[in-house]
Amino acid sequence: MSFGTRIYSELRGDRVIWTVVILLAVISILSVYSSTGTIAYKNGVGTEYYLMKHLFLVIGGLLTTYFCYLLHYMQYSRTAPFMILFAIPLLVFTIAFGAELNEARRWITLPIINITFQTSDFAKIALITYVARAISSKQDYIEDLQSAFLPIIVPILIICGLIAPADLSSAILLFITCLLLMFIGRVSIKYIGLLLFCGVAMFSILVVLGDLFFDDIIRVDTWRTRLSDFFNNTDGVYQIQQAKIAIADGGIFGLGPGNSIQRNHLPHAYSDFIYATICEEYGLFGGLIVLSLYVLLFFRCVKIVVKSEKSFGALLALGMGMMIVIQALANIAVSVHLVPVTGLTLPLMSMGGTSLLFMSVAAGMILSVSRYIEKI
Amino acid sequence: MLWRIYVVLAGIVLFAILIFGRAVKISIYEGEKWKALKEKSYVQYRAVEAERGSIFAQDGSLLAVSLPYYAIHLDLSDKVVSDENFNNTLDSLSYCLATYVDNSYTVGGWREKLIEARKKKNRYLLIKNKVPYNELEEIKKFPLFKLGQYKGGFIAEMKSERKRPYRLLAHRTIGYVREGIKPIGLEGAFDEELKGAEGKRLMQRVAGNTWIPVNDLTEIKAQSGNDIKTTIDVNIQDITEEALLKAVRKHDAEYGTAIVMEVKTGAIKAIANLGRHKEGWWETYNFAVGNQVEPGSTFKLASMMALMEDNKVDLEDTINLELGKTMFYEDEMRDASYHGLNETTARKAFEISSNVGISKLVVRGYDEDGGSRKFINRLKSMSLHLPTGIEIDGELPPFIKEAYSKEDKWSGTTLPWMSIGYELTMSPLQVLSFYNAVANNGKMMKPHLVSEIQRFDKTLEKFKPTIVNNRIASPKTIQKAKELLEGVVLNGTAKKLATKQYNFAGKTGTAQVDYKRMKKSKIKYQASFAGYFPAEKPIYSCIVLINGPKQHGFYGGEVAGPVFREIADKCYASQIEMQVPVNAKLRPILATRQLPTYDAGKKDEMKYILSYLKLPYGDNANKNWAVTAAAADTIALKTRKIEKDIIPSVRGMGLRDALYILESRKLQVETKGIGKVVSQSIKPGTKARGQRIVLTLD
Repeated sequence: MSFGTRIYSELRGDRVIWTVVILLAVISILSVYSSTGTIAYKNGVGTEYYLMKHLFLVIGGLLTTYFCYLLHYMQYSRTAPFMILFAIPLLVFTIAFGAELNEARRWITLPIINITFQTSDFAKIALITYVARAISSKQDYIEDLQSAFLPIIVPILIICGLIAPADLSSAILLFITCLLLMFIGRVSIKYIGLLLFCGVAMFSILVVLGDLFFDDIIRVDTWRTRLSDFFNNTDGVYQIQQAKIAIADGGIFGLGPGNSIQRNHLPHAYSDFIYATICEEYGLFGGLIVLSLYVLLFFRCVKIVVKSEKSFGALLALGMGMMIVIQALANIAVSVHLVPVTGLTLPLMSMGGTSLLFMSVAAGMILSVSRYIEKI
Repeated sequence: MLWRIYVVLAGIVLFAILIFGRAVKISIYEGEKWKALKEKSYVQYRAVEAERGSIFAQDGSLLAVSLPYYAIHLDLSDKVVSDENFNNTLDSLSYCLATYVDNSYTVGGWREKLIEARKKKNRYLLIKNKVPYNELEEIKKFPLFKLGQYKGGFIAEMKSERKRPYRLLAHRTIGYVREGIKPIGLEGAFDEELKGAEGKRLMQRVAGNTWIPVNDLTEIKAQSGNDIKTTIDVNIQDITEEALLKAVRKHDAEYGTAIVMEVKTGAIKAIANLGRHKEGWWETYNFAVGNQVEPGSTFKLASMMALMEDNKVDLEDTINLELGKTMFYEDEMRDASYHGLNETTARKAFEISSNVGISKLVVRGYDEDGGSRKFINRLKSMSLHLPTGIEIDGELPPFIKEAYSKEDKWSGTTLPWMSIGYELTMSPLQVLSFYNAVANNGKMMKPHLVSEIQRFDKTLEKFKPTIVNNRIASPKTIQKAKELLEGVVLNGTAKKLATKQYNFAGKTGTAQVDYKRMKKSKIKYQASFAGYFPAEKPIYSCIVLINGPKQHGFYGGEVAGPVFREIADKCYASQIEMQVPVNAKLRPILATRQLPTYDAGKKDEMKYILSYLKLPYGDNANKNWAVTAAAADTIALKTRKIEKDIIPSVRGMGLRDALYILESRKLQVETKGIGKVVSQSIKPGTKARGQRIVLTLD
């Protein structure tokens, strides 16, 4: 048996999703390598340093995916409540004692191994798993406010509320993902409207609190600046202009791998603006492929749900799929100046350990579901 | 229920299409616009200059230092300074600028200037150039400026100027680093340490070649350079430079160089180079290190040492000087000055620096088969062929011909001429390094200029003295070499330079530049002197070389020697460790008139003083009071009679003793003058009855 067929036989489940994950990993390595020039130059190390580091992380991510795929998805259902109970104090701790990177407190430094860790990435997985579990287990009395609705929305509000001060965009995306998941899980529009209202109310409170008391924790000023930049500046702020130059430079087929020029002028060309780099090097064509890969991933998740509408597995796969695709679209939308500047990474693509790790977990969960649901 | 999921799917697909549409719009429909913008708003990471480290002298005095100054500009673009901020601060800012920064404009003048610049959206209005740091700190607090760069438009860019507080002092050795020019001296050699790490900062071009920083988090701060501490002693350097300057002026020379080195360590204490320059004498080139010249007579020491080391000669061997003229094949060799000697000792030949004598000794000593090779190998065993490896650039290895080598144009006359310092080239520093090794009992040290690398006053790296050759020759040879060099000063060509203050040892050199090629009429001389001081316990070695003296003599002894003497004199006078302690010398023979005669006082005290001064004395006194009596070269203590109620003789006593004795006898004492008692108004032996007594002191 050749190596290829061996891998093929090993990777059961939805092989289209497998292909998408592996393709994204390959593109990720290529584009991160060519866009780390500035940061390598700045830190005085060779670009190979970042290549090796990223390569290591990508392989680690794929192994994580594989490991999560091996676990039966029902295992996730069982651990979901504990994950939530763990995520909440972790987020509180991050707000209180977290390390500040780029003026936002999103990170904690893990003791002993001394690696920074973005806690919200973990919380996202935990919350979506929990919501999927809650919806599926309460399917029969989903219309009941007290016993079904509150246990779902309270964790959503708490987790999103804790993520929001330092990372509003992540919180909003997570909130939207949960809303959509509930919407698909047959929760009535009325309740969803109620949750939306709660979310908006909580956000208003945060803004007021941030203005009056905690201006160092809640980044209200940054939110305002970004919003006003977005609405007042039709050409976009400096980074956006650079991203647009990159996209324009790439044309239809791009400048070719490794030929990006704008990577030197784009802040975070290897994470927040990696899509612009991809468009510069591989053109609109490459950009379209990457965009399609994410949409395709979501299509496959939908296919699972169609197979088994109400099950936990289907909702879990859909939730994770939505989380990935929504964040991907949001990230890309920033580069094309469709939404205000956020600090979101491109899932399974950007350089950055925590994001890559938990997005791999999400992919692994989807694959686990696809593997066992096929067997039904 | 599937409709819900299709709604979401449709939404996502729609959004993806929207995104892609947007990308197409940017890339294709707006493509030209963005590509044009790229050309226009050129942004790049630009280097931010780091503060260069300082160069210190041995005692910490600054030899070279970078003083920062700032250029202050104002970015008046409305993207940076809001109308509100501009209008609110305009008057007070104009007042501050006119009062504290530049009063060539009035308050109104500044106001107009600012308004004008604002209208033109000037992003880089010059406020003031060359602002020192302390002034910058004040200016930063002005209205508007205190809002910083991104709200107040305040741009302060650091630049720096290299200053040398001692100007000419060791100028060439300290060196410089300038763009497009080969770096020179220590600044060049230690550039990596001194320059620090440049910072990097994203900057945007606003006009022409003007760049302003872009608000970006990716700035890296520049790291200031390390300092280096040299071995240069500012005082000795100053002495050396001054002495050399006097000499090159006096003799109207081409150039001069002088080096002072610490014998034990090889640390260079002073290095001076003076060449002609349109504005007078200046450190135009590092002759000491980079100038390979035929050393001439100073090389004779190496020849003599080679002979002695190979047991080819004893200092008392005789040699015929042939009245200072001899032939080697067709070439005539002459001595530099007339001496009228025929048969003489090898020692004498060296002391009077006879070319004939030394070359004949060498030719005679190495007349066996392959003798020349033996001579060359002996020179190499004394490390004479090695470069010193000094830190600064520009040194070449000595050129010493390989024996019988065709390539090196070895000929029958090479050996005799080489033995007197021709047909080979060495730099002054290389010659000095050899003399230093002799002074250091045969241990050759690597000459060095830098002792430490420091950062913020803390030592990062220390350079220990390095031994090049532990033993260039046997102790016996070294001892004899020292004798020869001392002989040059006592009896030879440097006799006139000798001083009674201290002994020094050295060798004169009077080389004719291009000895063999030049016609007699065009002879150009090169006077040199290499040696060390004090002779008994050498502390410093020194070489002086003056090229092309045109007046007031040309011999090494009269041109370079006096410079050496002046440097040695001043070092000797200013350096306590070089002074021989008084009590280390032989005691002076006592002369009667210097001896204490007729000094009177308490016997015990006088004995204490005499023994402290180590003056021998005889004790003949048997009472409490005594008086000295000196005869020939001895001192005797005799009894001074002091009786109750009788006025004694107090002559020779100090006032304290005299007062005590007289007042205890109830006398009223008056004194005149200061010193010891020389006369008293009442004769000794008179009964004391409370009289008035007048003492004259001197």
